[in-house]
Amino acid sequence: MQAIWPLLSFIIQFTMHDRLSFYYFRDSLLHRLNPLTKLALVFGLILVSFISPFYWTPHLLILAGIIPLAFVGKVTREYLNATFRIILPATGFLFIMQSLFQPFEGRELFRVWFLHPTVESTLFAFRNAARVFAMASSFTIFLLTTHPRELMTDLTRRGLPPQIAYVIISTLQILPQMQAKAQTIMAAQRSRGLDTQSSFLRRAGSLVPLVRPLVFGSLVEVEERAIAIEARGFTSTHTKTFLHEIPDTSVDKTIRWFLAALVIIALALRIWLS
Amino acid sequence: MEVISQNIVYFIIAIAIMVALFIWAYSANRMQKDFSTMTWVLIPVAIAINGVIGYIVGQLKLPVFLDSIGTVLVGALCGPWAGALTGALSNFVIGILTNPTDWWPWIPVAFFIGLVAGLCANAGLFKSWWKVVVTGFLIALTAATVSTPIAVYFFGGITSSGSSFITAYLLQTGQGIIQAVFSTNFLVEPVDKISTAMLAFAIVQGLSKRFLARFPRAENVETEGGASQTQLFIAIGVVILLILFAIFVLSRITGG
Repeated sequence: MQAIWPLLSFIIQFTMHDRLSFYYFRDSLLHRLNPLTKLALVFGLILVSFISPFYWTPHLLILAGIIPLAFVGKVTREYLNATFRIILPATGFLFIMQSLFQPFEGRELFRVWFLHPTVESTLFAFRNAARVFAMASSFTIFLLTTHPRELMTDLTRRGLPPQIAYVIISTLQILPQMQAKAQTIMAAQRSRGLDTQSSFLRRAGSLVPLVRPLVFGSLVEVEERAIAIEARGFTSTHTKTFLHEIPDTSVDKTIRWFLAALVIIALALRIWLS
Repeated sequence: MEVISQNIVYFIIAIAIMVALFIWAYSANRMQKDFSTMTWVLIPVAIAINGVIGYIVGQLKLPVFLDSIGTVLVGALCGPWAGALTGALSNFVIGILTNPTDWWPWIPVAFFIGLVAGLCANAGLFKSWWKVVVTGFLIALTAATVSTPIAVYFFGGITSSGSSFITAYLLQTGQGIIQAVFSTNFLVEPVDKISTAMLAFAIVQGLSKRFLARFPRAENVETEGGASQTQLFIAIGVVILLILFAIFVLSRITGG
Protein backbone atom coordinates (compact mmCIF):
# COMPACT_ATOMS: atom_id res chain seq x y z
CA MET A 1 0.00 0.00 0.00
CA GLN A 2 2.79 2.34 0.97
CA ALA A 3 4.48 1.98 -2.38
CA ILE A 4 1.45 3.36 -4.19
CA TRP A 5 1.91 6.92 -2.93
CA PRO A 6 5.15 7.82 -4.67
CA LEU A 7 3.78 6.22 -7.81
CA LEU A 8 0.64 8.33 -7.59
CA SER A 9 2.69 11.48 -7.11
CA PHE A 10 4.67 10.53 -10.22
CA ILE A 11 1.49 10.21 -12.23
CA ILE A 12 0.22 13.57 -10.99
CA GLN A 13 3.52 15.26 -11.72
CA PHE A 14 3.74 13.57 -15.07
CA THR A 15 0.35 14.80 -16.20
CA MET A 16 1.32 18.29 -15.10
CA HIS A 17 4.60 18.30 -16.97
CA ASP A 18 3.26 16.47 -19.96
CA ARG A 19 2.08 19.69 -21.60
CA LEU A 20 4.45 21.57 -23.81
CA SER A 21 4.56 24.60 -21.52
CA PHE A 22 2.49 26.80 -19.26
CA TYR A 23 0.55 28.12 -22.27
CA TYR A 24 -3.27 28.30 -22.28
CA PHE A 25 -5.09 29.32 -25.41
CA ARG A 26 -7.67 32.04 -24.78
CA ASP A 27 -9.05 34.78 -26.98
CA SER A 28 -7.90 37.89 -25.14
CA LEU A 29 -6.25 41.25 -25.66
CA LEU A 30 -3.04 39.98 -24.10
CA HIS A 31 -2.96 36.88 -26.30
CA ARG A 32 -3.32 39.02 -29.41
CA LEU A 33 -0.35 41.28 -28.58
CA ASN A 34 2.92 40.69 -30.39
CA PRO A 35 5.18 38.35 -28.35
CA LEU A 36 7.96 40.94 -28.32
CA THR A 37 5.57 43.50 -26.81
CA LYS A 38 4.71 41.06 -24.04
CA LEU A 39 8.40 40.39 -23.45
CA ALA A 40 8.96 44.16 -23.25
CA LEU A 41 6.06 44.37 -20.80
CA VAL A 42 7.67 41.72 -18.57
CA PHE A 43 11.09 43.33 -18.55
CA GLY A 44 9.60 46.82 -18.18
CA LEU A 45 7.68 45.76 -15.07
CA ILE A 46 10.72 44.02 -13.59
CA LEU A 47 13.12 46.89 -14.32
CA VAL A 48 10.76 49.52 -12.91
CA SER A 49 10.09 47.52 -9.74
CA PHE A 50 13.83 47.00 -9.18
CA ILE A 51 15.06 50.46 -10.20
CA SER A 52 12.39 52.80 -8.82
CA PRO A 53 13.58 54.73 -5.73
CA PHE A 54 10.18 54.70 -4.01
CA TYR A 55 9.53 52.07 -1.38
CA TRP A 56 6.01 51.06 -2.45
CA THR A 57 6.60 50.78 -6.23
CA PRO A 58 6.79 46.96 -6.45
CA HIS A 59 3.72 46.53 -4.24
CA LEU A 60 1.77 49.04 -6.33
CA LEU A 61 2.88 47.39 -9.57
CA ILE A 62 1.65 44.01 -8.34
CA LEU A 63 -1.76 45.37 -7.33
CA ALA A 64 -2.31 47.83 -10.17
CA GLY A 65 -0.30 46.24 -12.98
CA ILE A 66 0.25 42.52 -12.73
CA ILE A 67 -3.02 41.25 -11.27
CA PRO A 68 -5.14 43.32 -13.73
CA LEU A 69 -2.93 41.95 -16.53
CA ALA A 70 -3.93 38.42 -15.49
CA PHE A 71 -7.57 39.57 -15.72
CA VAL A 72 -7.05 41.08 -19.17
CA GLY A 73 -5.35 37.89 -20.36
CA LYS A 74 -8.24 35.76 -18.99
CA VAL A 75 -5.76 33.55 -17.10
CA THR A 76 -6.63 34.68 -13.55
CA ARG A 77 -7.42 31.18 -12.32
CA GLU A 78 -4.20 29.66 -13.68
CA TYR A 79 -2.17 32.62 -12.45
CA LEU A 80 -3.59 32.41 -8.92
CA ASN A 81 -3.00 28.67 -8.96
CA ALA A 82 0.69 29.22 -9.81
CA THR A 83 0.89 32.01 -7.24
CA PHE A 84 -0.33 29.88 -4.39
CA ARG A 85 1.57 26.76 -5.40
CA ILE A 86 4.96 28.23 -6.34
CA ILE A 87 5.37 31.99 -5.99
CA LEU A 88 3.89 32.66 -2.55
CA PRO A 89 5.78 29.82 -0.77
CA ALA A 90 9.07 30.93 -2.36
CA THR A 91 8.67 34.64 -1.62
CA GLY A 92 7.27 33.87 1.84
CA PHE A 93 10.39 31.85 2.65
CA LEU A 94 12.54 34.69 1.29
CA PHE A 95 10.66 37.23 3.43
CA ILE A 96 10.93 35.24 6.66
CA MET A 97 14.61 34.36 6.18
CA GLN A 98 15.60 37.91 5.27
CA SER A 99 13.64 39.65 7.99
CA LEU A 100 15.22 37.30 10.54
CA PHE A 101 18.78 37.26 9.27
CA GLN A 102 19.58 40.51 7.48
CA PRO A 103 22.13 42.22 9.75
CA PHE A 104 20.53 45.66 10.10
CA GLU A 105 20.89 47.72 13.23
CA GLY A 106 17.68 49.32 14.50
CA ARG A 107 14.65 48.95 16.70
CA GLU A 108 13.91 45.31 17.51
CA LEU A 109 10.44 44.02 16.76
CA PHE A 110 10.64 41.09 19.17
CA ARG A 111 13.22 38.68 20.47
CA VAL A 112 12.79 34.92 20.60
CA TRP A 113 15.83 32.80 21.45
CA PHE A 114 18.51 34.19 19.13
CA LEU A 115 16.07 35.60 16.54
CA HIS A 116 15.62 39.34 16.67
CA PRO A 117 14.19 40.93 13.51
CA THR A 118 14.49 44.70 13.41
CA VAL A 119 12.07 47.15 11.82
CA GLU A 120 14.64 47.90 9.12
CA SER A 121 15.28 44.29 8.20
CA THR A 122 11.55 43.54 8.03
CA LEU A 123 10.89 46.54 5.77
CA PHE A 124 13.84 45.54 3.60
CA ALA A 125 12.64 41.95 3.38
CA PHE A 126 9.10 43.07 2.54
CA ARG A 127 10.25 45.15 -0.41
CA ASN A 128 12.66 42.48 -1.59
CA ALA A 129 9.95 39.81 -1.46
CA ALA A 130 7.61 42.10 -3.39
CA ARG A 131 10.23 42.60 -6.08
CA VAL A 132 10.82 38.88 -6.47
CA PHE A 133 7.05 38.34 -6.43
CA ALA A 134 6.62 40.91 -9.22
CA MET A 135 9.39 39.26 -11.24
CA ALA A 136 7.97 35.74 -10.87
CA SER A 137 4.39 36.89 -11.56
CA SER A 138 5.19 38.76 -14.73
CA PHE A 139 7.19 35.79 -16.08
CA THR A 140 4.30 33.49 -15.22
CA ILE A 141 1.69 35.66 -16.97
CA PHE A 142 3.97 35.95 -19.99
CA LEU A 143 4.35 32.19 -20.24
CA LEU A 144 0.62 31.63 -19.66
CA THR A 145 -0.33 33.86 -22.59
CA THR A 146 2.49 33.28 -25.10
CA HIS A 147 3.10 30.11 -27.02
CA PRO A 148 6.87 29.39 -27.22
CA ARG A 149 6.60 28.71 -30.94
CA GLU A 150 5.02 32.13 -31.54
CA LEU A 151 7.77 33.85 -29.58
CA MET A 152 10.50 31.99 -31.46
CA THR A 153 8.96 32.64 -34.88
CA ASP A 154 8.67 36.32 -34.12
CA LEU A 155 12.22 36.57 -32.77
CA THR A 156 13.60 34.66 -35.76
CA ARG A 157 11.86 37.12 -38.06
CA ARG A 158 13.62 39.90 -36.13
CA GLY A 159 17.05 38.35 -36.58
CA LEU A 160 17.48 35.62 -33.95
CA PRO A 161 19.57 32.81 -35.49
CA PRO A 162 17.18 30.01 -36.54
CA GLN A 163 19.50 27.45 -34.91
CA ILE A 164 18.77 28.95 -31.48
CA ALA A 165 15.05 28.80 -32.18
CA TYR A 166 15.48 25.16 -33.22
CA VAL A 167 17.29 24.34 -29.97
CA ILE A 168 14.59 25.92 -27.80
CA ILE A 169 11.59 24.45 -29.64
CA SER A 170 13.04 20.96 -29.93
CA THR A 171 14.08 20.96 -26.26
CA LEU A 172 10.50 21.81 -25.33
CA GLN A 173 9.49 18.67 -27.21
CA ILE A 174 12.31 16.35 -26.08
CA LEU A 175 12.18 17.18 -22.36
CA PRO A 176 8.64 15.91 -21.67
CA GLN A 177 9.37 12.80 -23.76
CA MET A 178 12.52 12.10 -21.78
CA GLN A 179 10.74 12.71 -18.52
CA ALA A 180 8.12 10.14 -19.49
CA LYS A 181 10.93 7.75 -20.39
CA ALA A 182 12.59 8.40 -17.01
CA GLN A 183 9.39 7.50 -15.24
CA THR A 184 9.04 4.29 -17.22
CA ILE A 185 12.63 3.33 -16.39
CA MET A 186 12.15 4.17 -12.72
CA ALA A 187 9.00 2.09 -12.51
CA ALA A 188 10.64 -0.79 -14.38
CA GLN A 189 13.75 -0.83 -12.18
CA ARG A 190 11.61 -0.55 -9.06
CA SER A 191 9.52 -3.52 -10.05
CA ARG A 192 12.80 -5.44 -10.37
CA GLY A 193 13.58 -4.49 -6.79
CA LEU A 194 15.75 -1.39 -7.18
CA ASP A 195 15.97 0.44 -3.88
CA THR A 196 15.07 4.14 -4.20
CA GLN A 197 13.99 4.98 -0.66
CA SER A 198 16.43 3.64 1.92
CA SER A 199 19.89 4.80 2.99
CA PHE A 200 21.94 7.49 1.27
CA LEU A 201 24.52 5.13 -0.25
CA ARG A 202 21.81 2.81 -1.62
CA ARG A 203 20.02 5.76 -3.23
CA ALA A 204 23.26 7.12 -4.70
CA GLY A 205 24.02 3.65 -6.02
CA SER A 206 20.64 3.37 -7.71
CA LEU A 207 21.38 6.49 -9.75
CA VAL A 208 23.47 4.53 -12.26
CA PRO A 209 20.90 1.93 -13.40
CA LEU A 210 18.35 4.72 -13.72
CA VAL A 211 20.47 7.19 -15.64
CA ARG A 212 22.37 4.87 -17.95
CA PRO A 213 19.56 3.54 -20.20
CA LEU A 214 18.03 7.00 -20.38
CA VAL A 215 21.16 8.89 -21.41
CA PHE A 216 22.54 6.38 -23.89
CA GLY A 217 19.12 5.81 -25.40
CA SER A 218 18.68 9.49 -26.14
CA LEU A 219 22.26 10.06 -27.33
CA VAL A 220 21.92 7.31 -29.92
CA GLU A 221 19.11 9.26 -31.60
CA VAL A 222 21.35 12.31 -32.07
CA GLU A 223 23.12 11.08 -35.17
CA GLU A 224 19.94 10.08 -37.00
CA ARG A 225 18.34 13.41 -36.21
CA ALA A 226 21.40 15.29 -37.47
CA ILE A 227 21.20 13.49 -40.82
CA ALA A 228 17.45 14.11 -41.01
CA ILE A 229 17.59 17.88 -40.48
CA GLU A 230 20.67 18.17 -42.67
CA ALA A 231 18.60 16.65 -45.47
CA ARG A 232 15.97 19.36 -44.89
CA GLY A 233 18.36 22.24 -45.43
CA PHE A 234 19.15 23.09 -41.79
CA THR A 235 22.51 24.69 -42.60
CA SER A 236 21.30 26.31 -45.82
CA THR A 237 22.13 30.02 -45.90
CA HIS A 238 19.24 31.05 -48.15
CA THR A 239 16.55 33.24 -46.59
CA LYS A 240 13.68 31.14 -45.31
CA THR A 241 9.97 31.93 -45.43
CA PHE A 242 7.57 31.59 -42.51
CA LEU A 243 4.53 29.39 -42.21
CA HIS A 244 2.79 31.56 -39.61
CA GLU A 245 2.54 35.34 -39.85
CA ILE A 246 2.60 37.07 -36.47
CA PRO A 247 0.95 40.51 -36.49
CA ASP A 248 2.85 43.54 -35.18
CA THR A 249 0.43 46.48 -34.99
CA SER A 250 1.01 50.16 -34.22
CA VAL A 251 -0.54 49.55 -30.77
CA ASP A 252 2.34 47.14 -30.07
CA LYS A 253 4.92 49.73 -31.05
CA THR A 254 3.25 52.41 -28.90
CA ILE A 255 3.23 50.10 -25.88
CA ARG A 256 6.91 49.29 -26.36
CA TRP A 257 7.92 52.96 -26.57
CA PHE A 258 5.77 53.75 -23.53
CA LEU A 259 7.51 51.00 -21.52
CA ALA A 260 10.95 52.21 -22.59
CA ALA A 261 9.99 55.72 -21.46
CA LEU A 262 8.80 54.37 -18.09
CA VAL A 263 12.10 52.58 -17.49
CA ILE A 264 14.08 55.70 -18.41
CA ILE A 265 11.94 57.82 -16.06
CA ALA A 266 12.51 55.33 -13.23
CA LEU A 267 16.25 55.38 -13.88
CA ALA A 268 16.31 59.19 -14.00
CA LEU A 269 14.35 59.44 -10.74
CA ARG A 270 16.73 57.01 -9.09
CA ILE A 271 19.81 59.01 -10.14
CA TRP A 272 18.18 62.36 -9.40
CA LEU A 273 16.93 61.41 -5.92
CA SER A 274 20.10 59.74 -4.69
CA MET B 1 19.80 49.50 3.57
CA GLU B 2 20.84 49.80 -0.04
CA VAL B 3 22.49 46.43 -0.53
CA ILE B 4 20.01 45.75 -3.30
CA SER B 5 20.30 49.16 -4.94
CA GLN B 6 22.14 48.09 -8.06
CA ASN B 7 21.10 44.43 -8.25
CA ILE B 8 19.46 44.43 -11.64
CA VAL B 9 22.09 46.77 -13.06
CA TYR B 10 24.84 44.27 -12.17
CA PHE B 11 22.79 41.48 -13.68
CA ILE B 12 22.32 43.39 -16.93
CA ILE B 13 26.04 44.16 -17.04
CA ALA B 14 26.80 40.45 -16.58
CA ILE B 15 24.42 39.50 -19.40
CA ALA B 16 25.92 42.23 -21.61
CA ILE B 17 29.44 40.87 -20.97
CA MET B 18 28.25 37.38 -21.89
CA VAL B 19 26.66 38.59 -25.12
CA ALA B 20 29.73 40.68 -25.97
CA LEU B 21 32.03 37.67 -25.39
CA PHE B 22 29.83 35.60 -27.64
CA ILE B 23 29.73 38.19 -30.43
CA TRP B 24 33.50 38.64 -30.18
CA ALA B 25 34.09 34.90 -30.45
CA TYR B 26 31.65 34.68 -33.36
CA SER B 27 33.13 37.58 -35.31
CA ALA B 28 36.68 36.40 -34.67
CA ASN B 29 35.72 33.05 -36.23
CA ARG B 30 36.61 31.24 -33.06
CA MET B 31 33.58 29.05 -32.95
CA GLN B 32 32.22 28.30 -36.42
CA LYS B 33 34.14 25.04 -36.43
CA ASP B 34 32.49 24.00 -33.16
CA PHE B 35 28.91 24.51 -34.33
CA SER B 36 28.31 21.67 -36.76
CA THR B 37 24.88 20.13 -37.26
CA MET B 38 25.83 17.43 -34.74
CA THR B 39 26.42 20.17 -32.15
CA TRP B 40 23.07 21.82 -32.80
CA VAL B 41 21.31 18.47 -32.46
CA LEU B 42 23.26 17.46 -29.35
CA ILE B 43 22.38 20.67 -27.50
CA PRO B 44 18.62 19.97 -27.04
CA VAL B 45 19.39 16.41 -25.91
CA ALA B 46 21.99 17.74 -23.46
CA ILE B 47 19.48 20.23 -22.04
CA ALA B 48 16.96 17.42 -21.65
CA ILE B 49 19.65 15.35 -19.86
CA ASN B 50 20.26 18.30 -17.51
CA GLY B 51 16.58 18.58 -16.70
CA VAL B 52 15.76 14.90 -16.37
CA ILE B 53 18.80 13.92 -14.30
CA GLY B 54 18.10 16.90 -12.05
CA TYR B 55 14.58 15.52 -11.70
CA ILE B 56 15.72 11.95 -10.92
CA VAL B 57 18.22 13.25 -8.36
CA GLY B 58 15.41 15.21 -6.76
CA GLN B 59 13.24 12.08 -6.65
CA LEU B 60 16.05 10.11 -4.99
CA LYS B 61 16.47 12.98 -2.49
CA LEU B 62 20.25 13.17 -2.92
CA PRO B 63 21.88 16.30 -1.46
CA VAL B 64 23.28 17.53 -4.83
CA PHE B 65 21.76 19.19 -7.91
CA LEU B 66 23.61 17.44 -10.79
CA ASP B 67 21.70 19.64 -13.23
CA SER B 68 24.60 20.46 -15.54
CA ILE B 69 25.83 17.06 -16.73
CA GLY B 70 24.64 17.75 -20.28
CA THR B 71 26.30 21.18 -20.25
CA VAL B 72 29.67 19.70 -19.26
CA LEU B 73 29.22 16.97 -21.88
CA VAL B 74 28.66 19.51 -24.68
CA GLY B 75 31.54 21.64 -23.39
CA ALA B 76 33.88 18.66 -23.64
CA LEU B 77 32.62 17.28 -26.97
CA CYS B 78 31.93 20.51 -28.89
CA GLY B 79 34.10 23.22 -27.34
CA PRO B 80 33.68 26.01 -24.78
CA TRP B 81 31.27 28.23 -26.73
CA ALA B 82 28.85 25.42 -27.46
CA GLY B 83 29.02 24.50 -23.76
CA ALA B 84 28.32 28.07 -22.71
CA LEU B 85 25.36 28.31 -25.08
CA THR B 86 24.00 25.00 -23.78
CA GLY B 87 24.22 26.21 -20.19
CA ALA B 88 22.45 29.50 -20.86
CA LEU B 89 19.70 27.97 -23.01
CA SER B 90 19.33 25.11 -20.53
CA ASN B 91 18.41 27.42 -17.68
CA PHE B 92 16.19 29.43 -20.02
CA VAL B 93 14.20 26.45 -21.30
CA ILE B 94 13.93 24.56 -18.02
CA GLY B 95 12.69 27.85 -16.53
CA ILE B 96 9.97 27.99 -19.19
CA LEU B 97 8.89 24.44 -18.42
CA THR B 98 8.98 24.53 -14.63
CA ASN B 99 9.46 27.76 -12.75
CA PRO B 100 11.29 30.82 -14.14
CA THR B 101 12.29 32.32 -10.78
CA ASP B 102 14.39 29.32 -9.82
CA TRP B 103 16.22 29.16 -13.16
CA TRP B 104 16.43 32.44 -15.07
CA PRO B 105 18.53 34.44 -12.57
CA TRP B 106 21.20 31.71 -12.72
CA ILE B 107 21.69 31.85 -16.49
CA PRO B 108 25.19 33.45 -16.17
CA VAL B 109 26.30 30.67 -13.80
CA ALA B 110 25.29 27.97 -16.27
CA PHE B 111 26.97 29.93 -19.07
CA PHE B 112 30.31 29.94 -17.24
CA ILE B 113 30.00 26.28 -16.20
CA GLY B 114 29.81 25.30 -19.88
CA LEU B 115 32.57 27.72 -20.86
CA VAL B 116 35.01 26.49 -18.20
CA ALA B 117 34.20 22.85 -18.93
CA GLY B 118 35.04 23.46 -22.58
CA LEU B 119 38.24 25.37 -21.81
CA CYS B 120 39.41 22.60 -19.45
CA ALA B 121 38.66 19.97 -22.10
CA ASN B 122 40.63 22.01 -24.65
CA ALA B 123 43.54 22.09 -22.22
CA GLY B 124 43.45 18.29 -22.10
CA LEU B 125 41.81 18.02 -18.68
CA PHE B 126 39.08 15.62 -19.78
CA LYS B 127 41.12 12.54 -20.53
CA SER B 128 41.43 10.57 -17.31
CA TRP B 129 39.64 10.31 -13.99
CA TRP B 130 41.95 12.45 -11.89
CA LYS B 131 42.08 15.16 -14.54
CA VAL B 132 38.30 15.18 -14.61
CA VAL B 133 38.31 15.79 -10.85
CA VAL B 134 40.51 18.85 -11.50
CA THR B 135 38.04 20.00 -14.16
CA GLY B 136 35.18 19.57 -11.73
CA PHE B 137 37.00 21.56 -9.10
CA LEU B 138 37.72 24.43 -11.51
CA ILE B 139 34.06 24.44 -12.61
CA ALA B 140 33.02 24.57 -8.95
CA LEU B 141 35.32 27.54 -8.28
CA THR B 142 33.85 29.42 -11.24
CA ALA B 143 30.28 28.56 -10.30
CA ALA B 144 30.82 29.70 -6.70
CA THR B 145 32.37 32.98 -7.86
CA VAL B 146 29.71 33.79 -10.43
CA SER B 147 26.70 32.81 -8.34
CA THR B 148 27.79 34.87 -5.31
CA PRO B 149 26.96 38.33 -6.75
CA ILE B 150 23.68 37.01 -8.18
CA ALA B 151 22.59 35.59 -4.84
CA VAL B 152 23.67 38.76 -3.03
CA TYR B 153 22.28 41.40 -5.36
CA PHE B 154 19.17 39.58 -6.54
CA PHE B 155 17.95 37.81 -3.44
CA GLY B 156 19.75 39.72 -0.70
CA GLY B 157 22.01 36.70 -0.09
CA ILE B 158 19.32 34.27 0.99
CA THR B 159 17.76 32.31 -1.84
CA SER B 160 15.11 29.62 -1.75
CA SER B 161 17.62 26.73 -1.81
CA GLY B 162 18.32 24.65 1.26
CA SER B 163 21.95 25.73 1.63
CA SER B 164 20.70 29.21 2.59
CA PHE B 165 20.51 28.03 6.19
CA ILE B 166 24.31 27.93 6.26
CA THR B 167 24.40 31.47 4.84
CA ALA B 168 21.90 32.61 7.47
CA TYR B 169 24.04 31.05 10.19
CA LEU B 170 27.20 32.72 8.90
CA LEU B 171 25.38 36.07 8.80
CA GLN B 172 24.41 35.59 12.43
CA THR B 173 28.04 35.04 13.39
CA GLY B 174 28.74 38.52 12.09
CA GLN B 175 30.30 37.81 8.70
CA GLY B 176 29.71 40.18 5.80
CA ILE B 177 27.03 39.13 3.39
CA ILE B 178 29.37 38.52 0.44
CA GLN B 179 31.77 36.42 2.53
CA ALA B 180 28.87 34.44 3.98
CA VAL B 181 27.38 33.63 0.57
CA PHE B 182 30.76 32.84 -0.94
CA SER B 183 31.79 30.47 1.83
CA THR B 184 28.45 28.68 1.57
CA ASN B 185 28.86 28.27 -2.18
CA PHE B 186 32.42 27.14 -1.70
CA LEU B 187 31.28 24.41 0.68
CA VAL B 188 28.43 23.20 -1.50
CA GLU B 189 29.71 23.51 -5.07
CA PRO B 190 32.83 21.26 -5.25
CA VAL B 191 31.01 18.04 -4.34
CA ASP B 192 28.24 18.78 -6.81
CA LYS B 193 30.41 19.88 -9.72
CA ILE B 194 33.05 17.15 -9.34
CA SER B 195 30.38 14.46 -9.39
CA THR B 196 28.84 16.22 -12.39
CA ALA B 197 32.15 16.17 -14.28
CA MET B 198 32.75 12.52 -13.35
CA LEU B 199 29.29 11.46 -14.51
CA ALA B 200 29.80 13.33 -17.79
CA PHE B 201 33.13 11.53 -18.22
CA ALA B 202 31.44 8.19 -17.48
CA ILE B 203 28.91 8.92 -20.23
CA VAL B 204 31.71 9.73 -22.69
CA GLN B 205 33.43 6.47 -21.73
CA GLY B 206 30.27 4.55 -22.55
CA LEU B 207 29.92 5.95 -26.08
CA SER B 208 31.52 4.31 -29.08
CA LYS B 209 34.59 5.86 -30.75
CA ARG B 210 32.80 5.98 -34.08
CA PHE B 211 29.95 8.04 -32.56
CA LEU B 212 32.30 10.41 -30.69
CA ALA B 213 34.36 11.05 -33.83
CA ARG B 214 31.40 12.88 -35.41
CA PHE B 215 31.64 15.70 -32.85
CA PRO B 216 33.88 18.72 -33.56
CA ARG B 217 36.20 18.27 -30.56
CA ALA B 218 36.38 14.49 -30.35
CA GLU B 219 40.16 14.71 -29.74
CA ASN B 220 39.47 16.37 -26.37
CA VAL B 221 37.98 13.23 -24.88
CA GLU B 222 40.36 10.61 -26.25
CA THR B 223 41.20 8.68 -23.12
CA GLU B 224 44.77 8.04 -22.17
CA GLY B 225 45.55 4.37 -21.81
CA GLY B 226 46.48 2.81 -18.51
CA ALA B 227 44.86 1.74 -15.30
CA SER B 228 41.60 3.64 -15.54
CA GLN B 229 40.00 1.41 -12.90
CA THR B 230 42.51 2.41 -10.21
CA GLN B 231 42.21 6.02 -11.27
CA LEU B 232 38.45 5.85 -10.83
CA PHE B 233 38.93 4.66 -7.25
CA ILE B 234 41.46 7.41 -6.58
CA ALA B 235 39.02 9.99 -7.96
CA ILE B 236 36.17 8.66 -5.83
CA GLY B 237 38.55 8.80 -2.86
CA VAL B 238 39.27 12.47 -3.58
CA VAL B 239 35.55 13.23 -3.68
CA ILE B 240 34.97 11.44 -0.35
CA LEU B 241 37.88 13.40 1.17
CA LEU B 242 36.29 16.64 -0.09
CA ILE B 243 32.94 15.70 1.44
CA LEU B 244 34.66 14.90 4.76
CA PHE B 245 36.49 18.24 4.54
CA ALA B 246 33.21 20.08 3.95
CA ILE B 247 31.61 18.32 6.92
CA PHE B 248 34.65 19.15 9.05
CA VAL B 249 34.51 22.84 8.12
CA LEU B 250 30.77 22.89 8.69
CA SER B 251 31.11 21.37 12.14
CA ARG B 252 33.85 23.90 12.95
CA ILE B 253 31.53 26.72 11.89
CA THR B 254 28.57 25.45 13.87
CA GLY B 255 30.75 24.53 16.83
CA GLY B 256 32.62 27.80 17.12
